[in-house]
This record gives sequence, structure tokens and C-alpha cells, in this order.
Amino acid sequence: MSADAAHQYEPDSWPVQYLQDHAIHIAVVLVFLAYPFAYDVLVDLFALTAEMILPEPDTMLMVFVLGLFAMSFDFVSGYTGYLSFGHAAFFGIGAYFVVLGYNGQLPIVPAEFPFLALLLLGAVVAALFALLVGLLAFRLSGVYFAMITLGITEIMYVISQHWDYLTPGNSDPATGTTAGGANLADFEPMIGIPFIDPLNANVHPGFGDTSILGIEFGDSVIVAYLLVGLLVLICYFLMQRIIHSPFGRVMIAIRENEERAKAIGYNVFYYKIGAFMIAAFFGAVAGALLIVIEGTASPDTTLFFLVTGFALVATIIGGLGTLAGPLFGYIFLESVNEFLTREASGGGLQPWLQEVLPESVLTATIGGITVDGAMDAFMTGHGEFYAGIIFVVFVLYVPVGMLGTLRLRLGSETVARSVSRRIGRLRADDTTGEVDTDPPAETETEAGADESD
Amino acid sequence: MTLLDVSDIHTYYGESHILEGVSLEIDEGEVVALLGRNGVGKTTTMRSILQLTPPVEGTITFDGEELVGKDTYEVAEAGIGWIPEERRMFTRLSVEENIRAAVPDSQRVPEALETAYETFPILKERSDQRAGDLSGGQQQMLAIARGLVGDNDLLLVDEPSEGLAPQIVTDVGRALMDAAEEIPILLVEQKLGLALDLADRFYVMDHGQIIDEGETSAVSTDDERLRRYLSA
Amino acid sequence: MIPTVDPLFVGDVLDLLTSPGDVSSVLIEGFAKASLYLMIASGLTLIFGLMDVINFAHGAFTMYGAYIAAGLMLGLVTASMGWATVMLVFLFVLVVVFALLAALGTIFEVTLVRKLYEYPPIYQILLTFGITITMEQFMRMIVEFRDINNGQWNLDWASPRRQTLPSELGDSELLFVEFTNLQLFEILLGVLTAVGIWAFLNRTRYGLFVRAGVEDEEMAKALGINVQRTFTVVFAVGSGIAGAAGVVLMWDPLWSVSVPLALDVLLPAFVIVIVGGLGSFKGTVVASLLVGMIDALGTWAFTTGVIEFTGLEELMIFSILVVMLILQPRGLFGVEGQGDHG
Repeated sequence: MSADAAHQYEPDSWPVQYLQDHAIHIAVVLVFLAYPFAYDVLVDLFALTAEMILPEPDTMLMVFVLGLFAMSFDFVSGYTGYLSFGHAAFFGIGAYFVVLGYNGQLPIVPAEFPFLALLLLGAVVAALFALLVGLLAFRLSGVYFAMITLGITEIMYVISQHWDYLTPGNSDPATGTTAGGANLADFEPMIGIPFIDPLNANVHPGFGDTSILGIEFGDSVIVAYLLVGLLVLICYFLMQRIIHSPFGRVMIAIRENEERAKAIGYNVFYYKIGAFMIAAFFGAVAGALLIVIEGTASPDTTLFFLVTGFALVATIIGGLGTLAGPLFGYIFLESVNEFLTREASGGGLQPWLQEVLPESVLTATIGGITVDGAMDAFMTGHGEFYAGIIFVVFVLYVPVGMLGTLRLRLGSETVARSVSRRIGRLRADDTTGEVDTDPPAETETEAGADESD
Repeated sequence: MTLLDVSDIHTYYGESHILEGVSLEIDEGEVVALLGRNGVGKTTTMRSILQLTPPVEGTITFDGEELVGKDTYEVAEAGIGWIPEERRMFTRLSVEENIRAAVPDSQRVPEALETAYETFPILKERSDQRAGDLSGGQQQMLAIARGLVGDNDLLLVDEPSEGLAPQIVTDVGRALMDAAEEIPILLVEQKLGLALDLADRFYVMDHGQIIDEGETSAVSTDDERLRRYLSA
Repeated sequence: MIPTVDPLFVGDVLDLLTSPGDVSSVLIEGFAKASLYLMIASGLTLIFGLMDVINFAHGAFTMYGAYIAAGLMLGLVTASMGWATVMLVFLFVLVVVFALLAALGTIFEVTLVRKLYEYPPIYQILLTFGITITMEQFMRMIVEFRDINNGQWNLDWASPRRQTLPSELGDSELLFVEFTNLQLFEILLGVLTAVGIWAFLNRTRYGLFVRAGVEDEEMAKALGINVQRTFTVVFAVGSGIAGAAGVVLMWDPLWSVSVPLALDVLLPAFVIVIVGGLGSFKGTVVASLLVGMIDALGTWAFTTGVIEFTGLEELMIFSILVVMLILQPRGLFGVEGQGDHG
């Protein structure tokens, strides 16, 4: 400990500093990475108890997709303050683009065009559509903005229910359409580096590959989980970069005080449309990924008003204006749903109780129905009821959401910055033995304390 | 006898400390002027009395009753009327409806309308017009009428002459003079002459505090005692 | 099918215009639909248009009204009743449902919504959206429950119209015009709703307080008006009307007593309030007429085969919203300053 005082302020080499700044991100990514394997281990150890509490990897796959969609919703709604109430439109464009493209129904685009290319094309189309909508909608504000975006999406929803171009053959447009035509197994969504076969994997959770780069996982769901998770992670970091860029600072300035942002000299109209287009882009990526999991697109799972509605719910529970929050919000929501599901696979409260409680309790009758029957009626499959109550409680008592609360606890900065600073402090302690000597990163943190991520 | 007793109140707008210990008294039957430059806290004093911007510290008793902690409508029910700056008509309501809205449940509406129309006959002619379509002077009359029909024991009158033509100011002054025969008034008024004509006593405010008080008969409009706190 | 216009469209329209019977039928249907839309939207216009509280639970209130009415009607109406008795029972149910939903609205306002008046509108949307989800799922529990419980409290929720709508309200013809008496009854209720709300706003002391409180809350309070209580009353009345609308929808063949009714009602109601203009009851009435007429025309166009697109009415309703927001964001009679916040 003889190092002189200057030593502790000597800047770290950038990879070290970078790792330090992203420590929390790395930790979270590692947890997600380990999850499907840990799930198997825990289920082996604790059987139904673990199955009851933990969401299945399958469910987590859906959480990734819907979480990405909710992030894109939060990107525009939480950071510019303009409630994108018709956000499902972009989700729907992404989803239908993949299905129609795969089935060769799109002009110019050849049939069975690579999945990733369709995903990108669809996202660009969604962004262009957002440009059109934005030109009309951003002349309005407040409730009016929310309602015009909702109105446009509802028009798309109604058309999608009745337009048979979306579902060739005699099928009903309202029930949706499947990628790969009649045989879902024909749909082979490849994720990886284009044109290099070994670096690609079919991520169809039902019929996909069970190995990546020759590493065998024995389960196509895990391959899909890892690769879809990777795509969502990339999208998250891209959005995060934008929010921390000067562009993102203007978005936040618009949310905090649009008049002032205008007075400073920003053309807020362009910034709002830009943010809307970016959000649409990532919303459509999420829609395309939905097809990976479900294989089908239908009006009710893509363009329906409640698709946006639940993204809103997840965003609030996770934290409006915290980019990662919506993902955690969805984990919470889906966990509640799964906790109350009826199926034995994946487990839930009822299968667990059925095992734990003695037969006499289950068949006891209260007011004419058995306990088991009552569980069927009032608990199982009604996750939304309890999610709704939890949500109302959040709005009233935790309006900034889970991540927002965490951020407030840490002193209104981003969680990543706080963790980075703490690590910096610990490392400084190691080398100098002094407490509370802050690394230079501190000043930067102060300057950007108002930002969020 | 003391009607209103404001004692050492502190009021904030968000973080900024606007009233830093204001105390004043109004007795039965008197008109009291509250003088001072713009932004020294005169309007805030009225808003504090009304509990629109409740004071954080201090007490306000009216007729022996504590007002701090009450709802604004309860303060109004207790008998304090407000004739605010810029008059604040319900512009989409008719003249008659504006008056009706000010009549307490305990009073009869027809008599109240009669009182208002007797004082300001012009309002009767325009009773069906939207209040937003009235001229500034007529709106001020309507605002005073709302104060008169409210069965009030004290009127808080804020800048009644603001933005009015000189002829109209005279009318408004006369109307207030008539009102003062029956109801005590706390008056904020930039036109010092009008204020001193109407009031029996005065307080001078500066930077959220009362710094001077006295009888209006003891001062004149060009008295240095007042001038240095009024003109910029 | 995408909306394809038959080449003979112009000819068909000319046929319609030259057939007074058809025109009258379409008009009557339009007025009947407008009446239903008015009943759906007027509760919302009180709460959203005037109080500036965005109530996404509005549709759920209507859905509850419909279910409660269906239960009561199925329980009270017997096959041997004459139509006049059934109508009396219906009116009784209407009053009961209004009272129940008004009470529910009061509870919501006092315990939940009141906390949110000062929040940005997004939190009002969120809270009431959460209430909607919860209410819908709760109703689903109840409805599914009777299936599980061996049909002990078995009610056929699709049947209240079939079993309780008197045949006297069925098809009718006057001169050469075809209509149903139910349509006439709906028009009557629609007119009563319009007159009733207009009178509430313009002829009662509470209506006066509402309008004053909406324009300048501080001034209203300073004049001794208990604005808080006034808003509670308005919320209760709005909720009651929402429930009463559900009672009428129970009988109408184009609507059904079902959980999704909540959303089916909510979205058109929002469209009408916004197209009419926030803060204007007159706007809501005019917008209801506009949407009702266009809906009736759409139905006519579809049934006569002029346009082969089943979602036409919905499509047109939302198109009206979008076009209106582009051309005249404040709606037909909107008041400056309402709904801009956020």
C-alpha cells in the first residue's frame, strides 16, 4: 500500500473501465444465460416447488419477445412522453411481414427469403410506416396523440380480421396465418451470421436445431432461448446507446419540457418522429421474433389493442422511462400467469397444492363446491385478474415501477452507473486502503445523473 | 373586535419561500389596504387565507375559527369572499349562472340575483350572455357581484382597477365603497389614491413580510413613507 | 376481402335515394344506433370530456350493467307476462342497474380515482386500464364458475334477449317503411338520455357546479363549491349511465352480453367523445348521430352487397376518428384547453 496518491486516479485501460461500467449488464446477462440450465437443475432438486415458482424457459422465451416490444414502447412513450397507444401496429407489421414473406406473398421478396433479412426488412417497413403516422400524429399532443395512434392501429386490426390476402386459401383472416404454409415444420427461422452455415441455427422451438456451433444442448428451446435472447440483448444495447447519445438527451428534454427544448433551438418535431421510427423498428423486430416462437400471426396476438395494453402494464411495473424495466415487468407478469396456470407442465400453485394438501382438504366442500373446484374457479387460469390488482397497486403506490424505485434508492442515477461507481470504489480500496475515494468516473456520473437508461 | 387574525404565516410555492412570517388583523367594519410592489406576496397572502396555497406555519383565525387545514370551499362557507385578480369569470357560463354559482346553499337564489342586479343594472341586461363576452369593466362588476351575493363577512379584493378605463375605475370604486358599508374588505390595489380613499388602515409588504402599517388618514399618496416601497 | 366497391355502386346509391322506404329504414336504423352510441358515450363524456379523467373502465361498467340486467331479467320475466309488464320490469331493472353502477362508480372515485386527479393523464389511463382488466377477469371467473359448479346457477348469457324481449318489440311496418319496435324504443331512450343529461348539466345546481368546476376549479372552490363532492357525483352519474347503456345493449341484436363487450363499447365511446370534442355534450350528441348514421349506411351497403367487407362499420368508425384528428383535432365542438395536457 505504498502507492502514491496519484496512482488511484490513473485511468484504467479502457477494457477494464468498460467492464466496470457494464458490470451490472454483464451480471444480468450471465443470470439470463445460466437460467435454462439452472432451471433444470433446480427442478431436479426441488421438483414441483421449483416448477411452481420459476417460469419455464419456454415462458422466458416469450418474455424476451414481449419484453423487447415493451422496451420499444417505453423507448418512445417513456422517454419523449408521447404515449404510443397504437404501438401494436409495428408489432403486427413485423410479425405479418415475416409470415407473408416466408410464404412468398410479398411483392419482389422471393419466397423463403432468409428469416433475418425478413426481420430487418419488416423493421424498416415499420419505421417508414411510423414516419407516415408520425407526420400526422406529432402535430397533436396528450390524449389526442394517444388516440390517433390507437385509431390507426384499430383500422389495421379491423382490416387484418377480414382481409383474406393475409390468409391464402379458405382460412379465416381472423384466426391468423402460419409461416411455412400448412406445415409449420417447413418454417425454418435461421438466426446467425448470414451465408456462413456453421454460424447459423434454426431457432424454431418445436423443430429447430438442438445445437449451436457444434455444442449440443439436447433441447431446441434452449437454442431458441439463447439466440433470441442474443438478438433482444443487441436491440437493448442499441436502444440504450441511442438514449445515452445527444439524440436521447433531446428526447428526455422533450419529455421534461418541450417548450424549453424548442426554445433552445431543437427541431423537436424531427426528434419526436425519429424516436417514433426507432421505436417502431424495434417493435417490428419483436413482432418478427414472435413468429419464431408461435409460428403464426393472428390479429388478436399482434395488432389487438390489448397487445399494447399489456406492454403498458409491463412497462409500468418495470418502470416507465427505464429501458430495461419493461423486460423485468414482463418476467413478473408472465410469472404470475404461469404461477396460476392449470397445466402440470411448468407447474403452478394449483398442481403444487394438489400435491401438498391432503385429499380430505381438496375434496372438502365449502358452500357447495369443493376446495379443488374453488381453486379451479377463482385462481387457476385467472392470472390476469391478480396481475390487474397488482398493477393497480403499482400505479397507486409504486408509480415509478421496480427499476425506477431501485434507481431512486441509488440516488436518481442509472443502476449501471451506480454499480460501476461502487466497484470503482471497491477497487480503489484494494489498492490504497482508503475509503470513499471516488474514481474520476464520479464527475461524469454527476453530470449525467438526470439521464435514465 | 378582530374579525380576521393572520398570525406569522409562512407560505411556499414549491421550494421558494414566499411569505416569511406575515401577520395582520382586520376588525369588524373596516377596510384594510395591503400595499407593496409586484411580487412581494400580496396575492399569496390572500391565497393563504383562502387555503388555496395553505401556509406551512402560522395560524389564521376568522371569527374565532381556525382556517389553516380547512378546504378552500369551507373557508368560503365560513364567509370569506374572493374577488380575484383578472376577475376569473366562468367564461363559458352565462352572467346569471356566474352569479348563481356564487350563491351559498343557505341563501335563496332569486333574492341574490335581485341584489346583484340592483347594484349593477347592466348585468341584468346581459344576464343571458356568456361571461366571456363581457367587457373588462362588466366582468369586474360581475366579479364584485359574485362577492356580494355570497353572504360573506369579509371580502378579499385583489387589484380591482387593473386594466380598466379611468371612468370604469370610478364606477368600480364606488361599488366597492358601497359594499364596504356592509362588509369589511381586505384590498390589494396598485392605484394608491384609490386604495387610500377606500381603506381605513393599511399594511405595507416587502419581500414576504409586513414592514409598515398605519391609518390611511395619517398618510398621503406622495408620502415618502409609502412611496419608497411602492415605486420601483 | 379488402373493401372493393362494386362498379354498380353509384346505381345502388341512386336506388337507395329514390326509394323512400329504404331511406326511411336506414334513417330509423341510424337513429337507433345513434341512440345506443349516445348512451354508451354520454357517461364517458361526463367523466372524460368534462372532468378530464380518462376512464378506461367505462366499457367494463357497461359490461357489468349488461350482465346484471341479463341476470335480473331472466330471473324476473316469466313467459306468461304481457309485454307491458315486461317493459315495466325492464324499466325497473334499468333503475336498479343505474343505482348499482352509480354506487360502484362512487366507490371507485373515492378510493382510487380521486388520488389521480393531479397526476399526468397516463396514470389515469393506467389505473383505469388496470381496473378494466381486473373487472373483466372477475366477470370471467363468475361466468366460468357456473359452468364448473354443475350448472347450479346456470344462466345462458346469450339468451336474455331471446327469452325476455317481448315479440311486440319485433318487426313492424308503417306505410312502406320497415323497422323494429325495439329501434323505436331505443330512439326514445336515446332522446331521454340526451334530454336528461342536458337538463342535469344546465338545469340543476350540480350541473352548474360541474361546469364551473371544470372551467376554473380554484375559483369554484373559493365560491364555496365543494368541487370534490361534485366530481364524485359526476363520476357516479357517468358510471350509472354506462351501466344503464348495458341494460339496453342486452336487448339489441347487434350486441351481446359477454366479457369482450367491455372493449367493444369502450373504443367507439372514446371515438365519439373525441370526435364530438372534449368538454362538449352537444358535440357528443352530434358525433353519436354521425357515427350512428354512418354505421347504418355501412350495414345497408353490406347487406345490399354494395361493399363486401364485414368489418366495414368498425373500419368507418375509426376512420372518422383519424380523419377528425387530422383535420380538426379538437373535434366538432371541442373546448380550448381540454385534453392537451401531457
